[in-house]
Amino acid sequence: MNPAEELKQKLPSAVVSIGIQVNKPMAVIKKEELLNAAQKVKEMGFDHLSVITGIDYMDHFEVVYNFFSYAKKQNLALKVITDHEDPEVDSLTSLWKGADWLERETYDLVGIKFIGHPNLVRILLPDGWIGHPLRKDYDMDTEQFVTIGEGGEDIVSTDGSNLLRRK
Amino acid sequence: MDPVTIDTTKIKSIKRKPVTALEKLEDTGLISTVLAAREREGLILLSTIDQVFNWARLSSLWPVTSGLACCAIEMMGVAMAHHDIARFGMEIFRASPRQADLMFVAGTVTKRMAPRVKQLYEMMPDPKWVIAVGSCASTGGPYHESYSVLKGVDLIIPVDVYIPGCPPRPEAWLYAIIQLREKIKNEGYGAKWGLNK
Amino acid sequence: METDELIINMGPVHPSTHGVLRFKLRMDGEIIKECTPVLGYLHRGTEKLGEMKTYLQFIPYTDRLDYISAMPNNYAFVKAVEELAGIEVPLRAEYIRVITMELNRVVNHLVSIGSLLMDLGAATMIMWGFRERENALQLYEMLCGARMTFNYIKPGGVREDIPEGFIPKLNEFIKDMEKRIEDYEQLINTNEIFMMRMKNIGVISAEDAINYGMTGPTLRGSGVNYDLRKVEPYSIYRDIDFKVCVRRECDSYARYMVRIDEMKECLYILRQVVDTMPEAKIVSNPKYGIAPMTGAPSAVMPYFPRIFTPPAGEVYSRIEAPKGELGFYVVSDGTTKPYRVKIRSPSFCNLTAIPGMVVGLKIPDLIAAFGTIDVVLGDVDR
Repeated sequence: MNPAEELKQKLPSAVVSIGIQVNKPMAVIKKEELLNAAQKVKEMGFDHLSVITGIDYMDHFEVVYNFFSYAKKQNLALKVITDHEDPEVDSLTSLWKGADWLERETYDLVGIKFIGHPNLVRILLPDGWIGHPLRKDYDMDTEQFVTIGEGGEDIVSTDGSNLLRRK
Repeated sequence: MDPVTIDTTKIKSIKRKPVTALEKLEDTGLISTVLAAREREGLILLSTIDQVFNWARLSSLWPVTSGLACCAIEMMGVAMAHHDIARFGMEIFRASPRQADLMFVAGTVTKRMAPRVKQLYEMMPDPKWVIAVGSCASTGGPYHESYSVLKGVDLIIPVDVYIPGCPPRPEAWLYAIIQLREKIKNEGYGAKWGLNK
Repeated sequence: METDELIINMGPVHPSTHGVLRFKLRMDGEIIKECTPVLGYLHRGTEKLGEMKTYLQFIPYTDRLDYISAMPNNYAFVKAVEELAGIEVPLRAEYIRVITMELNRVVNHLVSIGSLLMDLGAATMIMWGFRERENALQLYEMLCGARMTFNYIKPGGVREDIPEGFIPKLNEFIKDMEKRIEDYEQLINTNEIFMMRMKNIGVISAEDAINYGMTGPTLRGSGVNYDLRKVEPYSIYRDIDFKVCVRRECDSYARYMVRIDEMKECLYILRQVVDTMPEAKIVSNPKYGIAPMTGAPSAVMPYFPRIFTPPAGEVYSRIEAPKGELGFYVVSDGTTKPYRVKIRSPSFCNLTAIPGMVVGLKIPDLIAAFGTIDVVLGDVDR
């Protein structure tokens, strides 16, 4: 029995469907039940949270978690589907400390909010950056510039005249 | 040996606006060297102030350690034993821009890093030179289409020498350094008037 | 005596942050109370560019993630694409890939140990490390003409077969390195100052390391016997005999020792691979790597079209890069360009643990602990 089936047996209410993600078992989880399912997954021995990804499918977002178990040497992927208007999922920082930055990065680049995250601010781009670049509708034509404010903080603006040399 | 004599009456007689290069130089007060050069050619080492300054400057360029990305690793490679830029008197990479007069912009300048690079440049004392290393620092390179990369560091600071390559080979760095030395050699008023030949 | 807390800003341009990383440190006297890494000064938007380029065009960008060890990056992405499309690779090409990757592991650890010691104030090791690195780079130049950013591994094989004279030179390098590593160990291992700076500094328990998602030498330094080459053997690692280097002390010194041991293991692997490499008659003589891409297949690169469309689907594939677990999450929608590329970079995840490791230490200890984590900023910020 692969871990996705095992999870479905243990938490039938949370698992929407199970499948295979190129030789790795995968389970699609209900959004509300994510924290429960993650708890269960951790109890099943999946102690390594490898990656958190958000994917923009124009009409919905998918958040994908990949786990690995050091004891059993098994892989498991969890997938959560959220709506496009206001994407929100529960944060896993209470279970894995490593989820902290991965979730911040997903928030920064894809714009998925993680409820319960202790410090959900941008990590790679400066605060105040307009838009989330990895969304498909991100405006690539508007250039944004960063300048340093008086307190050393980053100020984002579309006007680069303070930064650029006058030609 | 005869003492060097300077015919001062000749200087006073010049009333018109300086036209030729020599007249211009006489106008700046460097006349003694030039006249001496005429009279004692071959016996004394003669030069202009510019030449002396430029020679000193180009022989001890001190770069600031401002590695940004991939090219910074190649910068370490250039500084290490195999390629050894100590040959150019520049083995001392300064951690403080206040003590440096050359800046290698070694790598991709992102939007977030751009104001910092500019600040570093402004902190360096004059005279100062900039070498844009690699295609990223020159034009944005492979990241030209990216949303967070500045399309060339010359948009924010003046650049003296560009090195193509991604990352440039150490030989290309050395060639760029030689080019920069050539450039420094020909700086100053004397060079502008064609006297540093 | 009344004291105030002091905020110290370290970076983004600082000689010992290995790039453009910035630490915001809240200090009580000399003791670090809180350490906040500020990232993003080298964020180049690689993942977005992945959506704008074709699969083959994206391979050069993977070189520039972890630019000290570019070959495993190449391979990680190519492996994801191969898994997605189910492409088979000639055996000889797999051998060449393993040679390049293990060679790159040696290079990475040389630079890592060298810069660690330079940060601690000992300049000899970086001179030595770069001297040997230069020899390895000459091997790479023979192979693909580039020193750091190779673009050598392609879906379906490698760009060109190994040139004549490569194997003897590689053997020479291995023989030389074995002696050199002894030198390093004599120079560093029992040096009293080094041990004082490294022992019991930056301690992280195995449990915490797993919880933070640390991988690679940093995890093995905490006593977890985990190496993807053993756990999920990819390429030809199933047939290769090597041991996973583990240390149980959990401190900076253990992580340094893991790297030294790994270099020896790499040389052992390289010897095996060179000895057992299958002979192959080269079908064509590809010049500049263009021929196998367009037409004539060779022993290491079967026919592979320039425009390539894998079937729709998604894959997460991981390898053991020198710095840890490097994963590529590739989503294909059946067109010529990936729909989404997510890079799980080892440096980013290993760096997560730094704030917890250095509280209560002094700034020089932060530099020592950070040096053994071995991050590359291109890999952190992507």
